[in-house]
Amino acid sequence: MLWYIGKRLIQGLITVWFIATATFFAMHNVPGDPLLNERATTPTIRANLEAKYGLDQPVTTQYFIYLKNIVRGDFGISFAQENREVNDIIREHFPVSAILGVLAVIIAAVGGILWGSLTALYRNRLPDYLIMFLVILGISVPSFVIAAISQLGIVTLNNLAGTTVLPVAGWGTIYHMLVPALVLGLSTMAYLTRLMRSSMLEIVNSDFVRTAKSKGVPPARIFARHQLRNAVLPVITVLGPSIAAITTGGFVVEIVFAIPGLGRFFVEAVQQLDYTVIMGTTVFYGTFLVFMVILVDVIYGFIDPRVRMS
Amino acid sequence: MTGVMTSPQTIPALLEVRDLAVEFATYGGTVQAVRGVSFSVEKGKTLAIVGESGCGKSVTVQSLMGLIPMPPGRITAGSARLNGVEVLGCNVINGKDIRGSQIGMIFQDPMTSLNPTMRIGDQIAEPLQEHRGYSHKRAFSEAINLLSLSKIPEAAKRARQYPFEFSGGMLQRAMIAMAIACKPSILIADEPTTALDVTIQAQILDLLQDLQTETGMAIVLITHDLGVVARVADEVAVMYAGKIVEQGSVDDIFYRSAHPYTLGLKLAMPTNDPDKQHKLNPIDGSPPDLFAPPPGCGYCPRCPFSMKICDSRPPENFEVAVQHFSRCWLHHPQARISPAAPSIPRELYVGERA
Repeated sequence: MLWYIGKRLIQGLITVWFIATATFFAMHNVPGDPLLNERATTPTIRANLEAKYGLDQPVTTQYFIYLKNIVRGDFGISFAQENREVNDIIREHFPVSAILGVLAVIIAAVGGILWGSLTALYRNRLPDYLIMFLVILGISVPSFVIAAISQLGIVTLNNLAGTTVLPVAGWGTIYHMLVPALVLGLSTMAYLTRLMRSSMLEIVNSDFVRTAKSKGVPPARIFARHQLRNAVLPVITVLGPSIAAITTGGFVVEIVFAIPGLGRFFVEAVQQLDYTVIMGTTVFYGTFLVFMVILVDVIYGFIDPRVRMS
Repeated sequence: MTGVMTSPQTIPALLEVRDLAVEFATYGGTVQAVRGVSFSVEKGKTLAIVGESGCGKSVTVQSLMGLIPMPPGRITAGSARLNGVEVLGCNVINGKDIRGSQIGMIFQDPMTSLNPTMRIGDQIAEPLQEHRGYSHKRAFSEAINLLSLSKIPEAAKRARQYPFEFSGGMLQRAMIAMAIACKPSILIADEPTTALDVTIQAQILDLLQDLQTETGMAIVLITHDLGVVARVADEVAVMYAGKIVEQGSVDDIFYRSAHPYTLGLKLAMPTNDPDKQHKLNPIDGSPPDLFAPPPGCGYCPRCPFSMKICDSRPPENFEVAVQHFSRCWLHHPQARISPAAPSIPRELYVGERA
């Protein structure tokens, strides 16, 4: 198992290097340049600035300086914001996005497993039809629509209650997190519900569940010991990509709920051609996702002995 | 004994199944998979239920164990009494599930019949925890004993492994260990050797027989392999199209076969004797459609001896000798004297045991 984790970590590092390299060369090939703005710069000033930022060096030299800085954990200084290091931006805003994302993933996974099992056990009966209808809604309605509707819902709720039951937007307490995390995790939850349903339906009719019945194991324990653990495997497999979907989807939800997450900076940096911020956040997000996927794989290994031992 | 006696003149059998009928509602209509099956199992004996695929043999035993998915399955008639107590449709007797405690079961495909994410030992320990209230530790050490009883080497190490680390034969041994964990009085083996190769098959059958001598349990063996039947069975029931067509001791079935279907099966057995014929003698045709079972005998269209009556009226169950039954009109007294009735060649009756 340790060897397996080590192997996955090395693979992860190679992936991160690849992301960093691709980002670097992609940014170099974007038209425009960071010193080109409304204020005219004389060639002398321009040359001085280029020398200061190392932009007069050949691309390969710049690439190695960039890699060296990344290894040291230094993503450089923002081009667009005064006196802001990319590291500061990440340090201040990433925890917010991370908490929101992790909460959303937990809600999506727990909800997906729960609703999926429920629909499978009530197959072709009312709870199944009802949940599957909501699942199709959850998959097809985009998150910004659901975000706006849920804000409207919170306002109505607060008006009815006469006090602020839940805050409409902003950040700070657990109450601020609940609704945005739910909205963010909703489409993933819907997707996982479908997956869990089909996987559970397959397991319910499997030979080893029949064996468990023939041993006289009561249904509740068959569900907990035999069905759940096997049915959840495909759900865990897609949990890695789901984390990616949720963190990237987070940008929209963060803007609608006025949450000071990293997503807003990421989008603004692209609009302002803030090179270092784009590269820094991309590499950082990439690294985060790669290691979340590895974490999911390790969890999978703990649940499925066949993966752990091969 | 508090159970109700089935027939006052005889001691009730360990398991007494009467007129069991099971059907399945499907989109295409209702399949009458089992159409009135009766048999009894005596303590310490082996009953083999033989028949081709789809004849209802698995459905028969699975309905006794409550393993038929309902819906679409439905038990429409019949009774099954275990020690005189009705168990059909209710597996919990006096608050205890009889499955795993009084009846154990093993299945056709050991590769898929065990939980892939659970240790072998834990799976064997499960019925002990469930029915005897053992602690996990005690049940696990008992599971190791059961594994060595099932002749698995290094049982203590093996108990900590997962099904994917076992071979097919080893898995079937583990299945057997699991089924006999609570010392059931009956072991139902649903084609236990079909998925295994021939040498392993022989080992598993030997193991079952050894365990039977040790524990005195009865075995109900479902198979389509007459070689297996000849090897282990005391009593045999031949099933065809949802009915038992012939029933008797293993010698009755092999040496004094009475039903044309049993004869057909025997003739269809391949032989490796170089002096004998090398061509297979299959039974031509196919079994009747159980969506609309024929009014008469189900075997009639394939039967070389069929008579006029066979097509229209279901044959009665004739007792051709003591405790030897055959469901065929040929045994009707009138059929013997009727010129229309063909005579079954004598040599077919006393065919050699394969």
